[in-house]
Amino acid sequence: MLRYIAFRTLVALFLVWIVVTIVFLLLHLIPGDPAELLLSSGNVAADPQAVAALRERMGLNAPLWQQYLDHMAGVLSGDLGASFRDGAPVIEQIALRLPRTLEVIVAASLIATGIGVPLGTYAAIRADGRADAAISLFASAALSTPVFVVGSVVILIFAQELRWLPAGGFVPFSEDPLEHLKLLLLPACTVALSLLAVITRMSRASVLEVLQRDYVRTARAKGLPVRAVLRRHVVRNALIPVLTVLGLEMGTLIGGTVLVEFVFNWPGLSGYLVSAVDARDYPEVVGIVMTISVLFVLLNLVVDVLNAALDPRISLVR
Amino acid sequence: MDRSTRRLILPASFAALVLALVLLAPVLPLQDVRGMDIPNRFSGPSAAHWLGQDGFGRDVLARLIWGGRASLFIAVGSALLAAIAGTALGLLGGYFRGVVELVTVRAVEIILCLPPLLLALLVVAILGAGTWPLILALTILYTPNYTRVVYAATQQVRGLDFVTAQRAMGTHPLKILLRTILPNVLPPLLVQMSLVVASAMVIESGLSFLGLGVVPPTPSWGLMIREARGAMEVAPLLLVWPSLALAGTILTFNLLCDRLQSALDPRAVTAGGALWLRPRSRAAKRPAPPVPAAPDAPLLDIADLSIAARDLELVRRVTLTVRPGETVALVGESGSGKTLTGLAMTGLLPDTLRLTGGSALYTLRDGTRIDLASLDEDAMRRLRGDEIAMVFQDAAASLNPVLRIGDQVAEAITAHADLSGEALTARVVALLRQVGIPDPERRLRAYPHELSGGQRQRAMIAVAIAGNPRLLIADEPTTALDPTIQAQILALFAQLRRDTPGMGMIFVTHDLAVVAEIADRVTVMYAGEIVEEGPVADVFAQPRHPYTAALIASVPESGAARLTAIPGAVPSPRAMPSGCRFAPRCAHAAPDCRDHAPRAARPAPNRITRCLRWEEVT
Repeated sequence: MLRYIAFRTLVALFLVWIVVTIVFLLLHLIPGDPAELLLSSGNVAADPQAVAALRERMGLNAPLWQQYLDHMAGVLSGDLGASFRDGAPVIEQIALRLPRTLEVIVAASLIATGIGVPLGTYAAIRADGRADAAISLFASAALSTPVFVVGSVVILIFAQELRWLPAGGFVPFSEDPLEHLKLLLLPACTVALSLLAVITRMSRASVLEVLQRDYVRTARAKGLPVRAVLRRHVVRNALIPVLTVLGLEMGTLIGGTVLVEFVFNWPGLSGYLVSAVDARDYPEVVGIVMTISVLFVLLNLVVDVLNAALDPRISLVR
Repeated sequence: MDRSTRRLILPASFAALVLALVLLAPVLPLQDVRGMDIPNRFSGPSAAHWLGQDGFGRDVLARLIWGGRASLFIAVGSALLAAIAGTALGLLGGYFRGVVELVTVRAVEIILCLPPLLLALLVVAILGAGTWPLILALTILYTPNYTRVVYAATQQVRGLDFVTAQRAMGTHPLKILLRTILPNVLPPLLVQMSLVVASAMVIESGLSFLGLGVVPPTPSWGLMIREARGAMEVAPLLLVWPSLALAGTILTFNLLCDRLQSALDPRAVTAGGALWLRPRSRAAKRPAPPVPAAPDAPLLDIADLSIAARDLELVRRVTLTVRPGETVALVGESGSGKTLTGLAMTGLLPDTLRLTGGSALYTLRDGTRIDLASLDEDAMRRLRGDEIAMVFQDAAASLNPVLRIGDQVAEAITAHADLSGEALTARVVALLRQVGIPDPERRLRAYPHELSGGQRQRAMIAVAIAGNPRLLIADEPTTALDPTIQAQILALFAQLRRDTPGMGMIFVTHDLAVVAEIADRVTVMYAGEIVEEGPVADVFAQPRHPYTAALIASVPESGAARLTAIPGAVPSPRAMPSGCRFAPRCAHAAPDCRDHAPRAARPAPNRITRCLRWEEVT
């Protein structure tokens, strides 16, 4: 088990290094001078002297390999540079906004798992019946509707027509817990919908597969009530691949809540990224992309290790 | 046309309709997408503007169709480009492996380490917004999907004989790749294609919605939704139309992908559910009420029991009796129906099979008799483990891999007895000790994969006897084990018989040596029928059916001077001989044997044989 974790960690670290390098190279090898870009506004050319000064300050005159080493050293010491726009350390903004994004993802995951697993299990139990067809169609539709469409329609219905919940915004939890949760509810549900579809489908397929296993027959041969067979032997075993998928989906979401945050005006990490991209603020873009990639890789690592813990066979097989 | 192909029609024709609409956009009599009409902004549907006008008074219908054109152009375009790049990389990596695999497949997979939307944003950040940067971003994003699919398929095809043959003949690798392998990997590519178009549309519309994709005034669905959001309070319908178009188109392509998949690869679709979970499906038969049994009634009395899969009869009119304390061996080759007969006694037949006739009278603990063949799932469940228990063949697959052994045994106890806490643990330990698992206090915390094959089978037996069953059905419990372990497990069964004198046992096996060791009486099955039955000693001493005689002669332990194999194989249920089912393989078959199905004859009061010529040939 420990060897397995160590091996997976090494692979994860290697991937993080690759991603950091690629992002660095991408941003430094593209044509166009960031300093010039930053100082020029509209069609007015920048003052060459100012550009030269800024290049010096940004360390853009050093050879690429030295810039790369400086960059890596910075990354290792937790320094992601300062924003072009306001000079504030990028890491501070990330530390402020990342928890908000994670909050939405965790809330959505809880909602989606809480509803998706029972729904998928029920569809599997009633496989090929009417309920199954309805659930499958719902899942396909939910999966096919982009989040910003869901978000916009949800706002239209719940905020504008029914006026039950605010349309968007953010209040820190410490200031007004109730308002905070109210504001969280719509974005979380929006993210949860597509996640719910994935989990429902996966649960259904997984339960159907487990139902064919010999150990389910053994459980029935013991004379256990149907509920006990389902709970202890079917759903429990079927959950393992579902959790894997949930973990992978959460990883994708860390960078994928951009649209939801935009729609609901939620000041998370992804919204920060969009504005950084818009302003071509490279230190910000690099910092955020790196943070998200590292989290993504780490989450995959956690999922793998968790899988090994849940299924005692895995560590032996590999 | 089968069902899975028919199910393709709906999404395929929808996709065709959408594609036709956007392709024909230039020739359709549509309004100008940029023609503004500020005085009539936000006006509802009219004869001139079927779906109304937007915030600049532009025609919504025209913008919807032209917007679809932009979205689909980007999605289909990048899906095609990614398909070309990904297929090339996957083919090369899968065919050459080694270093080539590293620089193609593994390199591309790094892309999968980045969240998709993020990667697209990154490309847009570098190249700026617009149609072509979007196509490039999506192409990079989806190349790994194709690479993986093609790589996996190529590896499979590569190992096939016809590819090996071509390689041996010195055909140029490129020619093999293009002519032989590519056509074989097309089906999974097609599935991937529709999936990629759908998810590319999601990302394209998302970026356009953020203002980082398609640049206005070119219409696109994402942009239309972005604009409509601002005017939500004035004209909510403006939000609805593009949302419907977008979600509907993506749904169409997703459904197309799903159904292509099941049409191209029927095996990938799991069999539908389990009948035992449907309470009403088995209640068609009204269970016969229990009746008092005669004092000397047998434990189990099966009469004329038949089992069929749809119209295919797999077990025909089996008759079998088990008395308390008696062990009956059920012997036969694979496919003789012996396991099915055993499963039917616990109501655990696979969903595709059902009982088609006969009865199985079982004497309950309270002295009443009940017909097992008439019970529904719920009534059967109450008997399982408590009255009738089963030991399965493959203990490794029959124990739950993620539950501890102790919990699996405990569960079998609590299913019928009210026991908990230390009393329960003590009982579990006692059971594990009884079946000969060393150090049971520690082993009850072990998972099945931590035990040896023999110990797993012992645990399986502990599970079966946990409820003190009165009838134990053992389905080839020693087949999957090493010979030395087999002997130990057989000794365990013999011990069980001594410890629980009232328990009847049906021992299903194909091994005659085992029968001689464990059973009181033996029932020989062939092709779904019982061909001979009698006390073990008598049957071995003087078999009354040519099949039994041949079986005995083919066993090394029988002491015969020469081993003789039985020629041929068990007939398939689809091509059962009309006369005696063993006749085609029988050395003594006469013309009569092929025409007349023999009835069960009684050579002795306690013997049965299903042979026309038993008096002459045995």
